[in-house]
Amino acid sequence: MNKKRVKSYRTNKEWVKALTNPVDEHAVQRLREMLVQGLKPALHKYVDRELEQFVEDVAQDALVKILDNIQSFRGESKLITWAMKIAVREGLNELRRKRYNDISIEDLKPEHNGREVFSLLYSSKELGPDRSLHEAQLMEAMNKYIEEDLSAKQKKALQAVVIEGLPASIVVKQMNTNRNALYKVIHDARLKLKNRFELEGINPDEMLRKM
Amino acid sequence: MVMMVKMTKSEEIGCDDCFDEMNEFAEMELAGKSPERAMPLVEEHINRCRDCKEEYEALVEAMKSLKDTS
Repeated sequence: MNKKRVKSYRTNKEWVKALTNPVDEHAVQRLREMLVQGLKPALHKYVDRELEQFVEDVAQDALVKILDNIQSFRGESKLITWAMKIAVREGLNELRRKRYNDISIEDLKPEHNGREVFSLLYSSKELGPDRSLHEAQLMEAMNKYIEEDLSAKQKKALQAVVIEGLPASIVVKQMNTNRNALYKVIHDARLKLKNRFELEGINPDEMLRKM
Repeated sequence: MVMMVKMTKSEEIGCDDCFDEMNEFAEMELAGKSPERAMPLVEEHINRCRDCKEEYEALVEAMKSLKDTS
């Protein structure tokens, strides 16, 4: 029986060499198989149908990025873990694009902020009998500080990502920015609000304990 | 959101730094080590950022499946 010997790539050095031009097609094929194998259980809960075809397509797109960026791999993990994170992001971004295709952040309604700002972390069953007063005070303060202290860009980012829960990868496209910059905008907004609470002598913990 | 504001720190890493270190963080978790102690800023970012958290959990799931069959 003529059994073809399958090459194995055990070390990062072997992988990097095999995936660097001129690439070893066996290595590319092996990596593709591993990506598909990992992507199926990782993404199955997000994909309604044709999971097999979807992960094949994602693996293919991810492979292009992996090969293009192979020289940026620093070796702080196994190469497959590094490659898989690229593939996972590729797959989730594609799913987010499909799911939120029709949503425009310009259509979000800021007038509902108050209740949602509060309810993001506290469901009503967790609150005590005096909750209405303290809840209203906290909501009022938060809305006032958002209105007074945040820039239009910060409000828009906070509304879309934190309050409406839209994926950052969708919001960045509509705000013409990137994920890192968007995170920074929201971080700066949170810092401003935190400082304002401190300046006003409001301790959210204390207020929440009274609820 | 109130707690999110309260827990805000002046020093936080962004999505790019988190993505850079996510593979190392995942391997530590899969090896049963404590990545949150070694890389607390990554842990904090993952807990704050929904997109990164989703990507991290999917990465761990994917790597578990490779580990199971290797």
